[in-house]
Amino acid sequence: MKSLKDAVVITGIGIITPLKPFGGVNEFWNSLCSGEDAIKRTSLPLLDMDRKWLMAGIDQSRFQNNISSENKLQCIAEEALCMAIKDANLTEYRNAGLSLGTVLGNVLAKEKRLIESKRQKSKCGNERESLSHITTSLAVKHNLNGPTITISTACTSGTDAIGIAARKIMNGKTSIMFAGGVDVLSDFAILGFHVLQALTEEKVRPFDKNRSGLALGEGAAFMVLESEKHAIHRQAKIYGKVMGYASRSDANHLTGPHREGRGLADAIKQAISEYNLEPHEIDYINAHGTGTVYNDLMETKAIKKVFGKAAHDIPISSTKSMLGHSFGASGAVEAICCLLSMKNKRVPPTINFREKDPECDLDYVPNVSRHHDVNTAISLSAGFGGQNAAILFGQT
Amino acid sequence: MKPVITGVSKISSNNIESVTSGLHDSIRQMRFVNSMEQLTVIAVGILLNDAKIGIPIGNASVSLFVGIDDSIEDIKNEYFEGILNEGILGASPLLFPYTTPNSLAAQVSIAFDIRGENITIPIKHSYRDVIEYAIECITGKYTGTAIAGGIRVQDRSLSVGEGRYVAEFFFTRRSGQRKKTGSNDI
Repeated sequence: MKSLKDAVVITGIGIITPLKPFGGVNEFWNSLCSGEDAIKRTSLPLLDMDRKWLMAGIDQSRFQNNISSENKLQCIAEEALCMAIKDANLTEYRNAGLSLGTVLGNVLAKEKRLIESKRQKSKCGNERESLSHITTSLAVKHNLNGPTITISTACTSGTDAIGIAARKIMNGKTSIMFAGGVDVLSDFAILGFHVLQALTEEKVRPFDKNRSGLALGEGAAFMVLESEKHAIHRQAKIYGKVMGYASRSDANHLTGPHREGRGLADAIKQAISEYNLEPHEIDYINAHGTGTVYNDLMETKAIKKVFGKAAHDIPISSTKSMLGHSFGASGAVEAICCLLSMKNKRVPPTINFREKDPECDLDYVPNVSRHHDVNTAISLSAGFGGQNAAILFGQT
Repeated sequence: MKPVITGVSKISSNNIESVTSGLHDSIRQMRFVNSMEQLTVIAVGILLNDAKIGIPIGNASVSLFVGIDDSIEDIKNEYFEGILNEGILGASPLLFPYTTPNSLAAQVSIAFDIRGENITIPIKHSYRDVIEYAIECITGKYTGTAIAGGIRVQDRSLSVGEGRYVAEFFFTRRSGQRKKTGSNDI
C-alpha cells in the first residue's frame, strides 16, 4: 500500500455555510463551537406548496446583487474557492488541478427549466449539461491546467473529492489541487427525502435516543492541497496533512446503510492503516451523524468495531446538527471542521442532544464544545448506494 | 507491475435481451427499475464473465469506477415530471434514489457484492478520466483490480429499445495477478 505519509498538506481553506456565510473561517468556527443552529422552518422556493420544511439555507439577500438561486451554486463554489486560494496565499497556480464533489450541481437550472416548460405545456427537453460543467467552468475561470475531475458519490462526494485530489498529488499528476464540494437546497431533493421519510419534523438530534431524521442544508467548501515539498518551498502556512483516505462500498442497499456498518468500518480501518496508526492515536471523529435512526446506530457500530475500547475515549461530533446535511458539500465542510479542530484545539458540539440512546453510548460532545488536544482527526461520510468514505488528517 | 486489461464488455440498450443468456441465473432474474440500471448491471456481468471472475465477489478486492454522461438526466426528468404533474404525491420514492449519479454503480456493487472503492465520475464526452483514475489506483496499490468504464447516450434521437444508451467496461488488474484466474491479457 502506498502511504500518503508526509506527502500532501493543506495550505488553504474556504467555506460558505448557512452559519455566518460571509463572515470568514473564524466567524464560522466560532458560531459552530458556540452551538448556533442554522436550521429553520422554510417553504420551498420554486414549487407552489403551503407546507414548510426544516432546512439550513444560506440567506439569499446576503449575496451581491441579490442573485437568483439558479446562480447561487456557482456563486458559493466560486466564493469558497477564492477564499481558499487567498488563504493559501497562492499567487501562481496555473498548473493546479480541481477536484469537486457534487450531487445536485445542475439541479437548480434544471428545476427552473422544467417548471417553465410545464407552464408552457411543452415537453421537457433533456439537459445538455453534465454535472461536470461546474468543475469545468471553475477551472476555465481560474485558468487551471491540471487534472479536473468531478465526483458524484452521493453524500460522500466531498470526502472522495479531497481523497482523490490527495492521490493525484501523490501520483505526481500535479503539485497543487483545489478540492472540495458544493451543493444547494433543491425543492425536488427535499420532496425526495420527504417521501423516503428521512426528514425530521422537529430538531435534528444526532445520536440522541429520540432522533427522528435529518434536515437538508447547503454550502461550499474548498481546500488547497499541495505536496509537502512544494508547500515548504514556498514557505506556506500548513493546516495539517492528509494521513489516509479510503472509499468502501456496503454492497447492500440503495438507500439504507448496512446495519452493522460493514462498509464504513472497512473504510475507517483502511484510512488509518495508510499511516500505520493505532486506534487510540485518533483524537477526534467528525461523524456523518445525520440524525436518522439507522445512520447513527450504524456509525456507532462501525466506530466501535474499528476502535474497540478506545472508541469511548474519542470525542465524536455531528456538525450536521447545526448545519444540516449539504449532500456533496458535507464531506468537504466536515473535513475543514477536522482541520479547524486541530488548529484551535477545540471540538465542536452535537447540539439538541437530550437523552442518551443505550445503543449509541459514545462521547458525542453533547451540546457544548470543549477544549481538546487534537493532533489527528478523521472525517466520516456515508451515502445513498452504500457509499462510505473516511479521510484522516494529522498535524505536520 | 503494469496494469493489464483482462476483460472487456460493450453493449447497447437495443440488445440487452440477446446478451443475457450466458449470465448467472441470479443476474438474469434481477428486477430492474430502469433500463440504464439494467444495462449497467448486465454489462458488468458480461465483463466479469470475460475476465473469468467468479460472483458474488464478497470482499473489497475489486473496485468500481463508473463514468456517466448526461444520460442520468433522463432519470431525473422522469422523477421531476412526476412532481410537476401530481405535486408531492408525484414524488416517487422508487425513482428518487436513482437521481443521484452513483445509483448505477451502487446497483452493480449490490448485484455482484463488490465492496471495494466505488467512485462515480460525471463526465461529458468519454471515460478517459475514469480509466485514468482506475489505473492510478492500481499503480498506487490502493486496489488490486478495477472495473472501469461507464454508460453514455449513444444517440439522443433513439428510444431505449432502439439503442439510446451504450455501456462499456474494462476489467483491469496488476499484471502479476492474472494467472490466479487463468484470464488472458488483452
